Amino acid sequence: MATPYVLLLPALAVIVAVLGYPLYRLVTLSFQEYGLPELIAHKGRWIGLDNYTEILGDGLFWTVLGRTVAFTAVTVGLTMVFGTLIALLLARLGTFMRLLITTGLVLVWSMPPVVSVNIWSWMVDYEFGVLNWSLTQLGLDHFAHHDWFVNPIEGFAVITAIVVWGAIPFVAITIFAGLTQVSAEMVEAAEIDGAGSFRIFRDITLPILKPIFVILASLSVIWNFQVFSQIWIIRNARPEDHYFLLSIYSFVESFNTSRYGLGSAIALVMVMAMLGVTFVYIRQMVRIGEIE
Amino acid sequence: MRLRMFATAVLVVALAIAAAAATGTSQASVDRGQADALTVWLMGDAQANWPEAVSAATQTFKSQHPGVDVNVQYQSWGDYKTKFEATLSAGSGPDVIEFGNTDVPKYSAAGALAPLDRSSFPNSGTWLSGLTKAGSYNGKLYAVPYYAGARGVIYRTDQYQAAGISKTPKTLAEFNAANAKLMAKFGGSKNPNYSAVYFPGRYWYAAMSFVYDYGGQIAKTRGGKWVGTLNEPAALSGLTAWRNVARSYSRANKTGDEAHPQQALVFAKGSVGAFVGNGWEWPYALDPKVGNPALAGKIGAYPMPSHTPGKYMPTFLGGSNLGVPVTSKQKAFAADWIAAFTNTQNMTRMASSGGVIPNTTSLARINAAKPTLAPFADAAKYSWFVPSTPNWANVESANVLQSMLSGILRNPSKTKELATTASERITEILNAR
Repeated sequence: MATPYVLLLPALAVIVAVLGYPLYRLVTLSFQEYGLPELIAHKGRWIGLDNYTEILGDGLFWTVLGRTVAFTAVTVGLTMVFGTLIALLLARLGTFMRLLITTGLVLVWSMPPVVSVNIWSWMVDYEFGVLNWSLTQLGLDHFAHHDWFVNPIEGFAVITAIVVWGAIPFVAITIFAGLTQVSAEMVEAAEIDGAGSFRIFRDITLPILKPIFVILASLSVIWNFQVFSQIWIIRNARPEDHYFLLSIYSFVESFNTSRYGLGSAIALVMVMAMLGVTFVYIRQMVRIGEIE
Repeated sequence: MRLRMFATAVLVVALAIAAAAATGTSQASVDRGQADALTVWLMGDAQANWPEAVSAATQTFKSQHPGVDVNVQYQSWGDYKTKFEATLSAGSGPDVIEFGNTDVPKYSAAGALAPLDRSSFPNSGTWLSGLTKAGSYNGKLYAVPYYAGARGVIYRTDQYQAAGISKTPKTLAEFNAANAKLMAKFGGSKNPNYSAVYFPGRYWYAAMSFVYDYGGQIAKTRGGKWVGTLNEPAALSGLTAWRNVARSYSRANKTGDEAHPQQALVFAKGSVGAFVGNGWEWPYALDPKVGNPALAGKIGAYPMPSHTPGKYMPTFLGGSNLGVPVTSKQKAFAADWIAAFTNTQNMTRMASSGGVIPNTTSLARINAAKPTLAPFADAAKYSWFVPSTPNWANVESANVLQSMLSGILRNPSKTKELATTASERITEILNAR
């Protein structure tokens, strides 16, 4: 009777060791004053909910939270749309082109963000960037010495492009793999009945692949909610207030001022917010499971 | 159904990782090195500008302590504090570490550094007072003066001549007039990218000099508490004078800083008449690998003039100190390495080939005698320094000044509001526990 649980033990032990302990530390830290002196003494000072009241009373926190939610919605939306379109394209291409595009996708996917963001950062550079140069060559003279980060909307457009660019491969390749599960007979039958390609996508592909879409969207939400290095690097490790997302806010308020207790509290609030956003998806997924 | 349970499990784990990662973003892995090795953290500047001083120090040290290896790791200004704090919590880290002189007080006050015996270091009787003060706390020495830097105006002699500027400016008004002539000669429709003086928006070291020149300050103590004072009339006049220079005579990035890209390299590209820079940025502009050696003989420097005739604008007295973290297991060795690194011979190397101001006044003649170094040594006669409190480093880390400055350039009409917001933030940070 107990055998399955015994067999589970090693895996559980690893998960507890790798994730459980840091989580436990995170939670205890969030109730402590933990600055540089405490760091050296290896002992924090218990202050109850003070860290949380400080965060929730900070106007900047709420602005940043709203901005993070909007940023996540836009980037996940774009990633899913473009990822799906590329997957559908891959399914229709010949072997050679498919191989070419897949290789490109895998290359993008495997490039470490620090490298790719630095290259993007050079491309949109004010002084020497290739983007300003190209636009000027095309006759758009006002792009000479154009600063892409003066206006936060433009700045976020650049950042969104970088994030979506990096996120598409995973989504496209996974959906493409899922598309092989859609039976050709069903598609053919629908075609004979006069369905167009949009109709086929909406009424056949989408329902069959729904679990895949749900999990991809949820994972993307979790990942994009924590976008950090893209903004951090492109703003030269000194982002202005109006480029703060929750992850950056958390880092600046804690690491930059050596307040680790406060930082832990922000991290936990951030996870709560993320849970709120993904809760709908998770519940839906569990429900699909129950019906079957 | 199993697929769904699996998917749910994946999501839960992903969330848990997110939680764990949220605070761990920068937990740097630290190379502990061997037990009988000394780990030294220096900034990349040493690697680029005086590598021979580093290797000479290690050689001297090894002849004193045969069998002890020295492992020098070069760090970057952007993240060394975060990395260092990670080593503090781990209880092991470098044995010697370089700090910017504005960062040291935070760590001495927190007890992160071991006290040092001043008399055991070379030239300690003639150390620069500014750096000694930065490295001391409550009367004890925690970090040895390493080097200092003062900024001056580095300019193109050929462009100044062509624009009819025969003498270097002696007042801020003359400086502005010279810049106006340069813009008329080289800028505008002839070259919209031309800056008479290249002044990136977030270059706070240079911008704050205007504030101090007009008698303003970043913050003052009042009744035992710190108060941010950038919105007081004197400071506002300084900010306005700076805004005028940066907006009228510079086409540099309003949201950029002096290091991204390196301003000396922008200068080397040719569309810049002058920039406010440190002594070592002059040779950097001529570096055949990254700069433009053809500019040799066409570059000069002068101290930034004040708005008060006969004075220079106060320059930020930047510099570095070397400390020994409390976590070091080899504090005596570490102090010996610092002593070897800061001896007269190595300081001479740093001054003559590196272009910095050495840590001792006894070597001031090296800088005074060299035409490429003298203007900067001269500029250092008038200097300013950040408010001396351990909390200052947090103002820098929180980008308070940078945000204010680029904000002012973007919305000049909001100068006063932005200065008030920044002052309030500075008051808050400086008075925190």
